[in-house]
Amino acid sequence: MKYLPLVWSGIWRKPGRSILIFLQVAVAFTLFGVLQGLKTGVDHAIAAARADLLIVHSRLGFGVPLTLGMLEQIRSVPGVEEAIPVELSLGTYQKPTQQVGLVAIRPDKGWLSAFTYSISPAYVKAFLATRTGVLVREELAEKYGWKVGDRIPLRTGLPQRNGSSVWTFDVVGTFTDSDIGGGNSNVLINYDYLNEGRASGKDIVNHFNVKIADPKAAAAMSDAIDARFANSPNETRSESIREMAQESLQSIGDLEFLIRAVVTAVLAALLFATATMMMQSVRERTAEIAVLKTVGFTNHAVFALTLAESAIVCVAAGGAGLAVATLAFPYASKFIHGLSMPWIIVSVGLASALAVALVSAALPAALAARLQVATALAGR
Amino acid sequence: MTSMKALSRLFALPGGLSAAAGKALRQFFALLAVSLAGLGQRPGPALTIVVGVACAVGVLVAMLAMGSGARRQEMSNVHDDRVVVAELGQRPLFGSISRQDAAAVQDLPYIRRDKDGRPIVVMESMIPINGVRRGTGARIFIPLMGVTPNITAYRPEMRFTVGRMFRPGMHELVVSNICTRVFSGFEIGDRRQIRGMPWTIVGLFGEGENGQCTILGDVNAIMSVFSRDTYSGLEVMLRSPADFDAFRAAVKADPAVHLFAERQRKVVTDNSKPLNSVLDFASYFVGTIMAIGGTLGAINSLYAIVDSRRRELATLRAIGFRPGTIVAATLCESMLLALPGALIGAALAWIFFSGLSASPFGFTFQLEVTPDLVRIGVTWALLMGFIGGILPALRAARVPVTAALRAA
Repeated sequence: MKYLPLVWSGIWRKPGRSILIFLQVAVAFTLFGVLQGLKTGVDHAIAAARADLLIVHSRLGFGVPLTLGMLEQIRSVPGVEEAIPVELSLGTYQKPTQQVGLVAIRPDKGWLSAFTYSISPAYVKAFLATRTGVLVREELAEKYGWKVGDRIPLRTGLPQRNGSSVWTFDVVGTFTDSDIGGGNSNVLINYDYLNEGRASGKDIVNHFNVKIADPKAAAAMSDAIDARFANSPNETRSESIREMAQESLQSIGDLEFLIRAVVTAVLAALLFATATMMMQSVRERTAEIAVLKTVGFTNHAVFALTLAESAIVCVAAGGAGLAVATLAFPYASKFIHGLSMPWIIVSVGLASALAVALVSAALPAALAARLQVATALAGR
Repeated sequence: MTSMKALSRLFALPGGLSAAAGKALRQFFALLAVSLAGLGQRPGPALTIVVGVACAVGVLVAMLAMGSGARRQEMSNVHDDRVVVAELGQRPLFGSISRQDAAAVQDLPYIRRDKDGRPIVVMESMIPINGVRRGTGARIFIPLMGVTPNITAYRPEMRFTVGRMFRPGMHELVVSNICTRVFSGFEIGDRRQIRGMPWTIVGLFGEGENGQCTILGDVNAIMSVFSRDTYSGLEVMLRSPADFDAFRAAVKADPAVHLFAERQRKVVTDNSKPLNSVLDFASYFVGTIMAIGGTLGAINSLYAIVDSRRRELATLRAIGFRPGTIVAATLCESMLLALPGALIGAALAWIFFSGLSASPFGFTFQLEVTPDLVRIGVTWALLMGFIGGILPALRAARVPVTAALRAA
């Protein structure tokens, strides 16, 4: 520790050079952080997505309707714990641009386990008790200032039996959604209220949420459910939430080879740059190093001092770069929500910065350590 | 050096007016030659510039190669005599066009006729079906296009490699070779279950450079199986590309049909815009950050190079070299160092990435390093060299003569 001032003055011997190296390393690790963070973040998001939750929808596409009558057949498949019918509709609030996704759920017993929502028990109770009740996604409640007890009119594409396509709901609470594919502007309503109120399309559902007992059996269970409806007018396609996450995020996984190439190029360029700079720095300081040795510094000490100088600059700069990456990450990953900078990348980044510092400073440090005092001072 | 002298003499030719300019040029070339010759003694900083620029340009070119590969693939089978007809207010291929409307389009003028004298209007109906990716086993939706058999006249680039065309009204499919490669269950003779009935794959075809999987079946057979009675889109081949405006007006003028015509080129461009802009954004985002890093490295290295030459620079100033000449020569040196970096970077990108196939966002295409991309890479490199050279060049020009000479 007592040598810290010595290392410090070494760093500031040529401030311009140190600042440039600092910036260069910081820029490189910003890129490293964003790219690796994206890749690892996606992997984490996929791993965190539930495999025990299947979405059973029409084989013909997501918008093609199924019927409520299929529910019992799905429930009779061995291994199915819960199956909940879900109908989707798009609504608008006040302006046509303010879109709200209506998720109509029939809250049968155990329904919450078949969804990725977190709802406080009091709100759940109120939702079950209020036929016209609506649970609002927290972000949405904040955006429009909706509070429990508010009555909100939503214009939808579904006419009611009285001819109006504006539906009024009572806000009974809020919820959060852990699914990365879950829309930010969704509200939950009671299926029965929607189904009995609508003028046409009775007993139509968009999909079923199915909770299965064994997440490892997701593929087999999907096939078993789809087999029940093969050759029927309502052929189905079942996929787990994890499978869906994988599909939608695969795009970034496919770019893995490119990300790896970019990161390799960044680190290679960096290694070269820092090595040359340290070499230059040691060469310029021949006389000073000789003096250090004359006053009793061992070869090992000189070696360590040189390494320390490089390590401090690189790790500090790496840290700064990764901090920028972490701050910039929400913007870079805007199109995938719920993605956050994985901490493992920050640690790996700092370790890489240290490795770059040590590898690039090794040769200059060895030169400094081997310096002959007499020869070095002879030129003066 | 003799060639340098010859060159500077050449520039000095036009009379006394340019005597000063000629002198500056002579100084410039002399300085540049000495500088470049001196780099060999201490290759470290110069190599740093080359490596830094090579990495930045290599990454930029490799990433842009994705975009250019995607564009080439998208545009490979686009022709100006092909027109897409879609329902007003709907995206092409997602509309519903009645049989009467389709028949009305067939009666319009300007449409090319096939060898039997019938207008080349392809009626289409799209159905998503399941594909299972080879290797990963992932299931994804792929479009099954129901088309009229005159598709072979509309798309002459279709070349059957195995088997034959589907027969009208039969439960038969033909698929492009890409499907067989990417998905399982698309070999010739395979039967696919569609609506509980087996559909046999009777032909495999290639389509030039198109990298997408195309699955075709008879439109009437598909529509009857899915009980549809409207087409999702029409495609029309014109007698000549010049007829487009007249054809478009004819479609618009017909009050009976609620359709519009659009060039195939425009539809394909619009459809691929999101992908292209994401690829371009990613390329320039990463490329810019790499370039900033590379420029910072170049500044540092040039400072080191200039510092190691203080004595020489001071001597030159003492014997009458102008600061402006020194600035120009240093900037030029910096850009000359960046140039090989750009070429190495572009070459590495070409060796490692050109022809590699990528499939981001559900599209599959081959990366393609084109001369245009190399030109962009070289431009970036020169820019990096120039910007990186400014500060060190100013320092070189400001070397205090007496102090520098005394220190030596």
